[in-house]
This record gives sequence, structure tokens and C-alpha cells, in this order.
Amino acid sequence: MVASKAATKCIERIACALLGAAVVLLGACAAYEPSGYPSQAGSAQTGDQGLEEITVTGSRIEGPTGNPRRLEPRERRTALSAVAPADAEPAGRSIAGMQPGGSTLLSQVQPGEELWVIQTSSAVTETEDDEPGSGTMLALVAREPAAPPTEVPLPLRHTDVHAVVTGYISAVDVTQQFENPYDEKIEAVYLFPLPEKAAVNEFVMTIGDRKIRGILREKEEAQRIYEDARAQGYRASLLVQHRPNIFEQKVANIEPGKRIDVNIRYFHTLAYEDGWYSFVFPTVVGPRYNPVGSQSPVAALPRGDVREPAVGTAVRYLRPSERSAHDIGITVDVDAGVEMEELTASHEIATQRDGESRAHVTLAGGNTIPNRDFVLKFRVAGETIKSNLLTYTDARTQEGYFTLLVYPPRTHNDLKRQPLEMVFVVDTSGSMAGEPIGQARDAIKAALTRLDSRDTFQVMNFSSDVRQFASRPVPASSANVERALDYVHRLGGEGGTEMLGGIRAALGFPRDPERTRYVTFLTDGYIGNEAEILGEVQRTIGDARIFSFGVGNSVNRYLLDGLATEGRGTVAYLGLEDSAADVMDYYFERISRPALTDVAIDWNGLAATDVYPARLPDLFPGRPIVVTGKFRGIPGDVGVRGRLGADTVSFDVGAARDSRQPALRSLWARLRIEDLARRQTLTGDANGALADSIRATALEHSLMSAYTSFVAVDATERTAGEHGTTVNQAVPVPAGVRYDTTVSGERGAIAER
Amino acid sequence: MKRGAGVWHAVVAVLCAATVLSTTAQPEASYFATVDLFVVSDTPVAAWQVELTERRGAMQIVGIERGDDSTFRDPPYYDRVAMMRSSTDRIVLASFSLSDAARLQSGRVRIARVHVRMTGAAAADYEARLVAAGTADGRPIDAQLSIETQTER
Repeated sequence: MVASKAATKCIERIACALLGAAVVLLGACAAYEPSGYPSQAGSAQTGDQGLEEITVTGSRIEGPTGNPRRLEPRERRTALSAVAPADAEPAGRSIAGMQPGGSTLLSQVQPGEELWVIQTSSAVTETEDDEPGSGTMLALVAREPAAPPTEVPLPLRHTDVHAVVTGYISAVDVTQQFENPYDEKIEAVYLFPLPEKAAVNEFVMTIGDRKIRGILREKEEAQRIYEDARAQGYRASLLVQHRPNIFEQKVANIEPGKRIDVNIRYFHTLAYEDGWYSFVFPTVVGPRYNPVGSQSPVAALPRGDVREPAVGTAVRYLRPSERSAHDIGITVDVDAGVEMEELTASHEIATQRDGESRAHVTLAGGNTIPNRDFVLKFRVAGETIKSNLLTYTDARTQEGYFTLLVYPPRTHNDLKRQPLEMVFVVDTSGSMAGEPIGQARDAIKAALTRLDSRDTFQVMNFSSDVRQFASRPVPASSANVERALDYVHRLGGEGGTEMLGGIRAALGFPRDPERTRYVTFLTDGYIGNEAEILGEVQRTIGDARIFSFGVGNSVNRYLLDGLATEGRGTVAYLGLEDSAADVMDYYFERISRPALTDVAIDWNGLAATDVYPARLPDLFPGRPIVVTGKFRGIPGDVGVRGRLGADTVSFDVGAARDSRQPALRSLWARLRIEDLARRQTLTGDANGALADSIRATALEHSLMSAYTSFVAVDATERTAGEHGTTVNQAVPVPAGVRYDTTVSGERGAIAER
Repeated sequence: MKRGAGVWHAVVAVLCAATVLSTTAQPEASYFATVDLFVVSDTPVAAWQVELTERRGAMQIVGIERGDDSTFRDPPYYDRVAMMRSSTDRIVLASFSLSDAARLQSGRVRIARVHVRMTGAAAADYEARLVAAGTADGRPIDAQLSIETQTER
């Protein structure tokens, strides 16, 4: 599209006027939220112009005289950001024009150009009718071509991951190689993710060819030992858990040019769905939004920001113009135990098959930037997965541990489901800007077109506040779906992530006695108040179900899994390369058949205790549930029963099989800790008997937890001089996530220690 | 012990009153030290179990490292439960090698180095006991245990 000069000037003036008005209004209300996302965009009510709201995006303003004006940091932070898709099609420059949605224009942006977007709000409080006059005005401004990223020296050089998968249990060794690239001694600090159900039970520090096994201790005691060793000049390392899926590694007294490796070992179980097992290794912690008052925030700060949060912790992020030398190597040895028909991965891999059930998988070169989850999936032969009971007996204590895999029976698949009340809740915060919100939009659009005419639905979106499509759920008529599609089409990503409001809105309105409420939650989960969110779901879920969809390539799986668990639904992940329509098809295929509800286990005389999950979820077609517990005695045939519509269904699991896998003990202990933590969240009792139980369980089973940490000290020799400077390992923002809408600016983002 | 479990009862107790080597520095609230464990045996040791305590109750174990025999691939393991049940650190260590007997060492062999943090200024008073030692084919060995300590204060 090519506009004339006159039109260009006209639109420029309008753009500048609107920008000016927006900036003034935004400046007035743009109080910078502590520990939250920078408010990259704001809103202004301009009802007398026929517009509900104006959203401004960009990092440079053309003033009325046509001279570029660089915004001051505060102004930028509160109002503006840049959009410049690097892979856009080449086309026009200058001013473009009006285009609903702006998709045509986006395709005309050239690499190195800045795109200014002035658009009517996507967020309408309630709309039953078509919205008049909505559109997007875009302006293109030339800028310097992007320079290649500058490499910044940081201590973490490499992460090596070696996993051994046996059946659905994996043992994973993670080695982090720290090397001091500076001229003086340093302490390296690195915040990193592990799978949310990882049972971390081994920690070894390696200096040269010497390996020092770390000791698990109560968290405060481990920290005292580490600080003491650091202050006295000894090489030491400390592993602390901030969340079940966020850990902090500290390595003290690394001398110039010297290297210290830290090895972490954990067990976890693979997810299984419709014949596919999934092994996941997360590589980076996404930038979190922390609402005011968060108990334990995880702040997102730029590299080099030396402030330490007064509470919680912080992740430092590389700017888009920076990169570090840190790369990752992954190998996975799979022994599926049964024939493996297919094997796929999120990254390019090299695969060596060893017979029908085994494979050796290596991450291919060129895919080693740790900025998205590594996901390896393998499909086992069609009918080979059945319900089964695996046991392990500790020879020393004679205590038995089991995992029971309950697979849905293949009967009653022809039954139709009951009508549903579908509530779509989509995260439209700043971290979802760009590709993630596009995926979420596509997913909801696909879902809307698959609704049954007996269903009702609602669409809600939340960022700094909550908006909704209609005042109450509406029937899934063609007209309503059309209007909803239009509503969804205009959803954008900006502002904070006040997820609590979204949860309350989705679960809080009156229930429809004729329909079960299915809440479909689409988010990247980049928030720092997970406990508060999960506690709210526990309290308010009632008989509703939550199906959580993680949107993006490095989502917060702890939160998303937690939402599904507390919501007795299931979780699914929608990567940026996935087809949103396919994922939604799959979801609707699952919920289009009735689930087995009120599931109960008939232990047949077996003394099963400490069984997790304590409350069994519904059993959806194609998706088993895993029950873990302790037992005494000799396990016999175990049965399962539940309700399928009006029918009662029961089936046998069969005889127990001795797995000879000590990992079952660690996995059980990890689930016990998770269950205790859940109860803690519900009661809000952070330091009472539940905390004592978590601590005791973790120490007895040598597991990391919120109350226990691993520490290792090399007391052989002191290093010379003071303990040196602390260097926080900066990491890239996850692939597909925009730095400018998620990482705090240069000042004022956190309450300092 | 993975090999020869329950076979032997030959236990050699070694009581060591260890004198901290360097006492020149000013007393500190805490200091770090290493305790090296040695086994003396004419027969190559493939597996062993040792208990280490400090009589004053001033010891905290902060790391465990393997000894000089590189056929013992991993650092020794420790019994977390034994540590929990004691008011102060009483550690039970064990290790094993899967190597052929021909590659295992005999004579006086350093089997482990324990890194400790001591509180208080008084000299440490360690006590170590060889609970068990065995050959590659699981036979018990009559062996002696000794310790050496080192610190930089």
C-alpha cells in the first residue's frame, strides 16, 4: 500500500496528536508497578471520538515538525515500545494507512524499520453487538539496521544434559560448567529451571578431576555454611529452590580462568497422552510479572542490574543486542520397554535406533541456544499401554512404594458428552505480545467454531485488569460465535498479568445448573505469585474444571500443571510452531467424550497409605492418571471404578510388578512434598507443622525442597584474596517473548534489599 | 554396600584424637578442614563402609570426595538417615568399585576425603570406625582404618 504525501502528512498529524494525548494521559497514570512488568502501553478513554481506548506502541516519536524525538526512559517505559518484525516481507515505507488488524501492513515492514501502531482498543468491557469503527493506524519510520548481537562475557559456559529414560521414569544428569572469564575472582549466580516435578537428590561439585559430593541440609544452615566458606575464600557451591521449577546455583571463589562444574541429578516421570510419552527439559526461566504484594517475587531485570530484591529473587536477561557464550548439549537414552513407533522433538536431533524399543538421541548442532524447552516425544505401539501397578520395596526399611498407572477403558467411547459452559480465559499481558497472543487467538478461534449448539460460552481476557466478551455466558449460536470471533481477533498483548482477577472472574460468576463449567485457560504463566493463584483455584473451583494451555516455547509449567491439577482438568502445551487449530481439535476430541468421574481405587486388601494425588482427577480418554503411594503387605489385583454418565464402570489393573526401581521412593517423596506444599498454600501456614513435614521428608529422602538445600565446600585450600565480585548469569528471554514488554527498565522496578 | 553385604563382621575400630595442624591463626567462630580416611590392607579393597563422628559435636560435613583409587568412580555416598538421627553430624560413608580385583589398590590407600566445617576454637576430636571392607567377590577383609586431618586457619 502506498500513500500519497498529502495523506502521509495528514495521518502523521493525526498520529502525533493521538500520541501526544495518549502520552499525557498515560504519564498521569503510569505509576511504575514494583516488581511488575514495565507498563509498555497504556490506555486513554476517548469516548467522545467514538473510540473506547487508544493503544500506542513504538519507541520513537515523530514530532509535529517532523524531527525525530527520542523519548526519555520513563516515557518509553510507560507508554511506548518498538515493533519491528525481522522476518517481515519487504515493501513500502513512510506512512501506511488504516487497516483493521494491521496484518497487511505488518507484512510490509522491512528489517531495520520501526513500526508505530495506533489502534483502537482490543479490550471492550462488554460487547453484545458488533463494534463500530474499529481499526488500526500504522506508521513506518526508518531506523538503522540491527547490528549483530554483542557477546558478553559471563561465567556459565555450557550446560550438559544426559537423560536415561526407562519406561516412563527418567534419571537426568545436568552439568553446569562455570568458568571465570574475568581478571579477578568471582561468585557466579545462576537462576535456572528444572521440570516442576523433578526429584533432585544428588549434587556434586567438580574441580579439575576432583568430585565433591554435596550435602543436603536445612536451607538456612546450608546458606550459613556457604556464606562462611565464601567469606573465608573456599570454593563452594549452593543449590537453592525458589519454586518447584526454579532453582538458584551459586558458585563461590572461582579464580580467573578457572572452571568449576556442578552436577545435579534428578528423577521425574514422563507425561503420557494418547500413545505419546513426553520428555521435557526447560532451558530458561521466563520473565515473570509480580503483582504488588507478591510474597516471593521473581523479578525480571536487565543484565548488569546489580540491585537485589528485598524479597524473592531476580532473573537477569540479556538485551536483544547481546548474547552469551552459554550453550546446551542434550543426550537422551530411551528404553521404552515396548516398541517405539515414532520419535519427534522440538529441536533438530540426531537419532540412533537400537532395536525396536531403544534409541539414543542427541541435540544437533546449531540448536544449542538455551532459550526454549527441549521436548522429546516418542509414540509406543498402539495397544501396548495398559493400566499397571509397579512396586519397589526398600530392602533396609521394608517399606513398599508403588505407582499405579490408570488408563481409561476403551468402552463407552460412543457416548456423547453433556452440554458445557465453556469459559475461555486468555492472558493478554505484555509477555504474550507478538507470537504468543497470535497463537492464543488462533486457538480460541478454532475452539469457538467447534462448540456444540447446546453449549454456552464466554471469553475473558486479563492483563492489568479483566475484560469479557459478554455480561454472561451466551449460547453458542452462529451469531454469537461470529461476534466472539471478532472480539478475539482484536485481543492484543500489553500491561501486567493480574491473573488472580482472571481466575476470580472465570470461577466467580453463578453456575449454570444444566452445564459443567469448563474453563480453558491460555497463558504463558509468567507470573511470580503462583501460590496465590493456585490457592485461589483450590478455594473456588467447586465442580468446575480447568484445562490449562501453556502458550509459548518456555512456559511456566509448574503453574500450568498446577492449574490443571487443582482444576481437575488437564494441561496441554501450544508451542509457537504448533498448529493452534490442531491442538484445539485434539482438546475437543478429548472433551467430546465423557470422562470417568468419581474415580476410586479398590486396593483389594492392600494396605496403601500416603497416596498421591489424594483427590483423584477425572479420567479423560487417552490420558491416564498416575497414582503413587506406600504400601505394606503383598500387593494383589487392584481395581478401579468410576462413573461414566449414569453408569458405574469398573475394571481391573492386574497384578503388581516389582520394578526394582529405587526411583519410585524418590518420586513418592517428591509427590508427598508437593502435596504438603499444596495444603500449605490452602492454609497459608508457611512455617507450621506442614513446613516441618516437608523438611523432614526432604531430609529423609535427600531431596531438594523449599526448606532444604545442597551445599558443597572444597576445604582443601583457600583461594587468595577477597571473595570477589558476584556475577549474575544473564539469560536470553525465551524464544518468541519480547524483551521490551517483559524486562524491567533501568530504574525503579524492584524494592531493593 | 553393593557387594558382599552381610557377609563380614571384621570390624576394626580406630580412635583418633586428631590435633589440628595449624593453630597459629586467631580463633574463628568456624573453620574448615579435611579429614582423610585411609585403609591399610594387603588385599585390594573393593567396597567399604566407615562411620565418622567428632566427639565435641562441633563438626558439620560439607562435602565428600573419593580417595586415591580412581576405580572408585563416584564420590562416596552417605547415609542421610544416620545423619538425621544424630544431634551432631555422625556420618556413615560407603563406596564400591566395579573394577576387576587386579586394578584395585592395596596397602595403605586413601579411600575418602571428608570436608568439614568446625565451630569453636578447640581442637577437633574425631572418631572413625571401619564398619566393613570387602573384596571384589564379596569376601570380608581384615583391614585397619586411620585418619589424617588438615586445615588452613
